[in-house]
Amino acid sequence: MLELTDVHTYYGNIRALRGISLSVAPGEIVTLIGANGAGKTTTLRTILGTARARHGTVRFNGHQLDTLTTDRIVRLGIAQSPEGRRIFPRMTVLENLELGAFARPDRAAIAPDLDRVFTLFPRLSERSAQTGGTLSGGEQQMLAIGRALMARPALLLLDEPSMGLSPILVDTIFRIIQDINRQGTTILLVEQNARMALRVAHRGYVMQTGRIVLHDAAAALLRSDLVRKTYLGEK
Amino acid sequence: MTVNARRPLGWAALVAALVAYPFVDRVLGFQTVHAVSDGMIYVLLALGLNIVVGYAGLLDLGYAAFFAIGAYSMGLLNSPVLGSPLYGHAWSFWVCIWIAAAVSALLGVAIGAPTLRVRGDYLAIITLGFGEIIPVAIRNLGDVTIEIGSWRPIERLNLTGGENGVNPVGRPYLPGVPFETDPVPWYFLILVIGAASLWAMNRLRDSRLGRAWMAIREDETAADCMGVNPISTKLLAFALGASFSGFAGSVYAAKLQAITPGAFEFQVSIMLLCMVVLGGAGSLKGVILGGMLITLFDRVVLTQTTFMVRALGRTLGVSALATADLTLWRWFFFGLGLVLVMVLRPQGLGGRRLSPAPIADDAEDPTSPDVASAPRVDAIPGWLRERARGGVAASPAILDVRGVTKRFGGVIALNEIDLVVPHGAIIGLIGPNGAGKTTFFNVVTGLVRPDAGRITFDGANLVGLRPNAVVARGIARTFQSIRLFQNMTVLENALVGEHCRLAATVPGAVLRPPAVIAEEARAHARARELLEFVGLGGKEHELARNLPYGDQRRLEIARALATEPRLLLLDEPSAGMNPREAETLTDLIGLLRRELALSVLLIEHHMEVVMGISDRITVLDYGTRIAEGPPAAIQRDARVIEAYLGTGYEQDLASRTSAS
Repeated sequence: MLELTDVHTYYGNIRALRGISLSVAPGEIVTLIGANGAGKTTTLRTILGTARARHGTVRFNGHQLDTLTTDRIVRLGIAQSPEGRRIFPRMTVLENLELGAFARPDRAAIAPDLDRVFTLFPRLSERSAQTGGTLSGGEQQMLAIGRALMARPALLLLDEPSMGLSPILVDTIFRIIQDINRQGTTILLVEQNARMALRVAHRGYVMQTGRIVLHDAAAALLRSDLVRKTYLGEK
Repeated sequence: MTVNARRPLGWAALVAALVAYPFVDRVLGFQTVHAVSDGMIYVLLALGLNIVVGYAGLLDLGYAAFFAIGAYSMGLLNSPVLGSPLYGHAWSFWVCIWIAAAVSALLGVAIGAPTLRVRGDYLAIITLGFGEIIPVAIRNLGDVTIEIGSWRPIERLNLTGGENGVNPVGRPYLPGVPFETDPVPWYFLILVIGAASLWAMNRLRDSRLGRAWMAIREDETAADCMGVNPISTKLLAFALGASFSGFAGSVYAAKLQAITPGAFEFQVSIMLLCMVVLGGAGSLKGVILGGMLITLFDRVVLTQTTFMVRALGRTLGVSALATADLTLWRWFFFGLGLVLVMVLRPQGLGGRRLSPAPIADDAEDPTSPDVASAPRVDAIPGWLRERARGGVAASPAILDVRGVTKRFGGVIALNEIDLVVPHGAIIGLIGPNGAGKTTFFNVVTGLVRPDAGRITFDGANLVGLRPNAVVARGIARTFQSIRLFQNMTVLENALVGEHCRLAATVPGAVLRPPAVIAEEARAHARARELLEFVGLGGKEHELARNLPYGDQRRLEIARALATEPRLLLLDEPSAGMNPREAETLTDLIGLLRRELALSVLLIEHHMEVVMGISDRITVLDYGTRIAEGPPAAIQRDARVIEAYLGTGYEQDLASRTSAS
């Protein structure tokens, strides 16, 4: 479904990705784990076209993404909940969510999806008429995820969805990730909470300074010494 | 004219070129000295505007008003037309130029004061209005009549010369130097004033005040929370920016020998703004370049090209070319140039190049993911240790909050919250998203005023203090979504933290007496030690925006420590960190408490961090305190589990215990 082959992405002279190859098959949850600065967010940005690969190819369902503009890529069926939330602060919660569905052709199916988001996050329902900027940090995180869900994408990119959320909501968010995956959405998940990410994912890639150093089934990664010591904080 | 010469040889060459220029010009018959002198006046104006726009980040669309005020201060005090008192005295120009600067600065404050509460676009609109008002007022104050019934206390009073302006204006007097129609003495006068102004501005930029301006430009709220008073700092930018236009206006009036209100219209403000933007806001070199380019293009290039085009037209017999006047196209060329520069080089011709934010550090060892090294006791700066020893407790609790309530519209964000931080304690503040935790921080730090309740810090009341005053008392904070001064260096960020512990004033910053030099050296040394301590040694000169995420978090803590706090408020410091990095952070917080007796109030969602390090924990839900107690009790509290922890946390804890 999604295939990155030897992708190199630069910021100016700085090599952020040094030859990433990874694939995501339909129906999978694949997680990218790694320390800050490893290049996880850059990988997502390269897929969506907000950063451009200097070498290598990004293919999605037969389309070559590295030549398309971001809005075209989104219309092919990829949506993301970006790092740092990036909500529209002067628009209401409801308007933010509706904008998530901006590129969808199936207008009739939008209302049930809105209900679904409000069921997932009752807090957003309570605050639907407030502007996004007045929400607390965690509530903005919910809004960013809800907005991505409204696009009902074939492939959902989630960048640290659990960041800033209370423990109970972290549980909820990972349950939601599994739920929407079972409903047919493929997910590429970037997470600092490696333990939870590997529990819900089918496969995982471990990144270090722009490279993939390990790649295996999620259950196997959970048992790997490198992952347990470095990313799970076990002694 | 560029000032890129750093070495003494380069400086000598530059000075020699500037001194030789008018004589070379005379020998070669170019006759450009007038244009260059006028160009330097505009450069001086643009440099003054640069303080407001480039340093403090306040968009001023009416700066020509200050130019007018400077010119009219000189004209009205030093012209025979309106019976000015100082006209005819040998020293009058040299006195009036200071008066003009002072009047401009005073009006800068008067204009600045009401605009300080508004930001961004609104501020620009207000300055636009002010820029329109001044020329109109000058026009209409040329003929003032006050009529009360049949009584006319003031009849046809001429205050400003009205539409006709003021003519003549007294010249400067200096023995042996003829300030007449020959432009060379004027050139040197303006050169000296300009060089002195530039020298002062350069020193201001690299001072406590310059850093405060830039911090306000980058993030006013964060600057306020680091101890920079935004009101006085912005007023100083307006006042100092205006005072330089007072100098420029004075020389302009004296050189031109006549001033009319038409010389200070809106387009002059726009042209000055173009000079700043074209050259690069915030860059002295760039603004000089922008100012000279625009003036010389207008005064020399366009007129010379017009001559050439006409000559060409006459030779070829094309009448359209023979009568062409390119100077009529001046605004077309300005516009085109501005568009091109903004497209090709948005930071301006001389601006600092903004490199994109790197994610991975190339120099890093690719096999080692362990970038966050453990904090070391011996790396704690000695001066910080001494500060920690100095304090004598005035009350049992360092922070005592009683019954604090805050409403936003109909929503109760905080409902009669009590919270006590004993000296040297680490107190956790947790709760569901939107429970009011960050609002609580905002209330304590003075960003939000509570509707009810008491807040005392070491026995003294905090309610009603501005954020910068709260910092001065000894409370520092970090922000949930990192709020560094993005386009300042790592070192400058830490130095802004020290702002409230430094004393240098404007004269001190410009004249640099030994006390100020020593203070700056000490501040730099301290900032470096702090950066070393948090693990940012060697990155002092990188822009904050180019740091990886984890480094940005660490820099926020260093900047907070630079304010020499006794209580540190940390808002989700481990957000976005993996368990390993969070562990390093936990060690750092523990170290600060143990070694520096620092008290900490901690908002955190990572339970490994908050449960492991807190002495006591307060739990908020919907603005209400639902639990308070030691971590073990909070973990078992049914309400906390239901509202916040969930059952997954216990499972997680259990699975980890069995795994290790």
